[in-house]
Amino acid sequence: MEKKNKANGVRSPQLRGFNSTVIQSPSGSSARERVHSVDPYGFERSPDFDYESYEELMSEYLAVLTRRSIKWSKLLQGRGRLEKSIKVKRYVRKGVPNEHRGLVWMSASGAQNQLEKNPGYYHSLLDASRQQHDPKLVDTIHTDLNRTFPDNIQFRNTSNPCLQKSLYNVLLAYGHHNPAVGYCQGMNFIAGYLIIITKDEEKSFWLMDALLGRILPDYYTSAMLGLKTDQEVLGELVRTRAPAVSQAMGQHNVMWTLVVSRWFICLYIDVLPVETVLRIWDCLFYEGSKILFRVALTLIQSQQAEVQRAGSLPDVCDSFKLMTRGPLVEDCHTFMQKIFTEPGSLSMATITKLRETCRARIIAEES
Amino acid sequence: MSRKKAVKGKNSSPTAGSPTGKPKGKTGKSTTGTGSVVQTNGMVHPSRPPLSNSSEFYDIAFKVMLVGDSGVGKTCLLVRFKDGAFLAGSFISTVGIDFRNKVLNFDGVKVKLQIWDTAGQERFRSVTHAYYRDAHALLLLYDVTNKTSFDNIKAWLTEIHEYAQQDAVLMLLGNKADATQERVVKREDGERLAKEFGVPYMETSAKSGLNVELAFTAVAKELKHRSMKEPNEPKFKLQDYVNKEMKSAGCAC
Repeated sequence: MEKKNKANGVRSPQLRGFNSTVIQSPSGSSARERVHSVDPYGFERSPDFDYESYEELMSEYLAVLTRRSIKWSKLLQGRGRLEKSIKVKRYVRKGVPNEHRGLVWMSASGAQNQLEKNPGYYHSLLDASRQQHDPKLVDTIHTDLNRTFPDNIQFRNTSNPCLQKSLYNVLLAYGHHNPAVGYCQGMNFIAGYLIIITKDEEKSFWLMDALLGRILPDYYTSAMLGLKTDQEVLGELVRTRAPAVSQAMGQHNVMWTLVVSRWFICLYIDVLPVETVLRIWDCLFYEGSKILFRVALTLIQSQQAEVQRAGSLPDVCDSFKLMTRGPLVEDCHTFMQKIFTEPGSLSMATITKLRETCRARIIAEES
Repeated sequence: MSRKKAVKGKNSSPTAGSPTGKPKGKTGKSTTGTGSVVQTNGMVHPSRPPLSNSSEFYDIAFKVMLVGDSGVGKTCLLVRFKDGAFLAGSFISTVGIDFRNKVLNFDGVKVKLQIWDTAGQERFRSVTHAYYRDAHALLLLYDVTNKTSFDNIKAWLTEIHEYAQQDAVLMLLGNKADATQERVVKREDGERLAKEFGVPYMETSAKSGLNVELAFTAVAKELKHRSMKEPNEPKFKLQDYVNKEMKSAGCAC
């Protein structure tokens, strides 16, 4: 996959750094001069990045971020833990400030508990004297190191510290921890984001464990049954909630895997803008995998007419690509409000039931 | 204008026919559902101009698939062919499956290649092999600096024979031929393997551009020849064409 150009892509609004310049635009300078060409997570903005729209959007979003930041600081009051409650869930849906993200993800997902229960475990997995590293695993991970966020300055092998080393460690440790999964492409991006946010290998490892072991179904195992299942589950949901899309998919014989496998495998990384992905992950860690369906349905419903107009399989694919670009996904705050309203009610029970049916169907088809 | 814009009704084209001109066993619209653009005659027919290339005209279209181990350079090869560019260190691993189009012009006939790029990691094959069935051609790649990717070619061939159409055009490519220092697979080894399986073969480099154009052009010519065969036209021999046209890694290109 080629490095994606995110036309108009708002990769990451931020709190610190250039907020003052955003609000008080010095006369005579352009947005291009005021906004840094590297975002707060280290991603270089693409050459066609729309600085004006970004600045406009940020001027509003910064107010939201500031308000949320104050509220979260009050809620946490310096505590290193978070008890789940209706209020906290509401807070999470409105976005976790970046400075608390690591803590909230760790607490909400149970990763913090696991880390405390298993002191030294992460480091023992990396200790080559205690465990012979599986050469095939090492090779596979190496293949993807240079192919993980080449557009992020923190992942360049010239940067110091270079996050590539952390990425390698986390993936290697996870591969040994969960041999049924080992390493699957896509995990490199997930681990990369976790490292960017937590800035801590051990925490990133336990968050991987929470995601792959508890939150997500078996997307990454060699049979990828969980992935195939969720693609079909989405298909079922779309059939009732965006029938026109379902019809177009059938008419042009488009398999769901063609258009959405990356959405699930990469948990929307490199599909949606960085800040939007992080907001989705806030809810993913807190509420679980059904959030992925809420996002998918919101995207699909937004382009229903376009998909319906598609005259061929490539057209359908193009319209799915269009869904993941533009103002809808760039304005992460509004987008996150939409995912909880637009698709309608979506209970975990519904998902569980659909997963059972689809899984049984796939197993029957494959045997 | 003699060339019709890509619109409905191309199915009636007098040249339409199976790329081999023979009825195919496994062909036809699949019941489980992939690539509807592929008609029973094996050609891809445009029903309306695609969103992204609305100004693009073409006479016939084919599906080409890039397969091979993870990291052998499938995406780089495709981008080099599509855009003529190679930007070291700007690629991210392909997850899932994607495609790009490129239109080639041979003797006034516009041939559109719909090129499918796939994730190389073994577990993704269970997701991607459903697409093999509709491929008119497959380019199977290994990396000349990676012995494992070469050793896995036999497994890939088995996979292709199982899932792809029997008459699909297949070509073996040893990529990264520019990397003389790191090379571990000799050109002769590739040649021998290709001969053993009766597959056309050449070395390529997405980095230098070596034989990249040729690889796609050769399969496009073969496919065009099969589907538009004129009565007195001599048979197009893919391997002969490749042998005549290809450059070796050593020469300046």
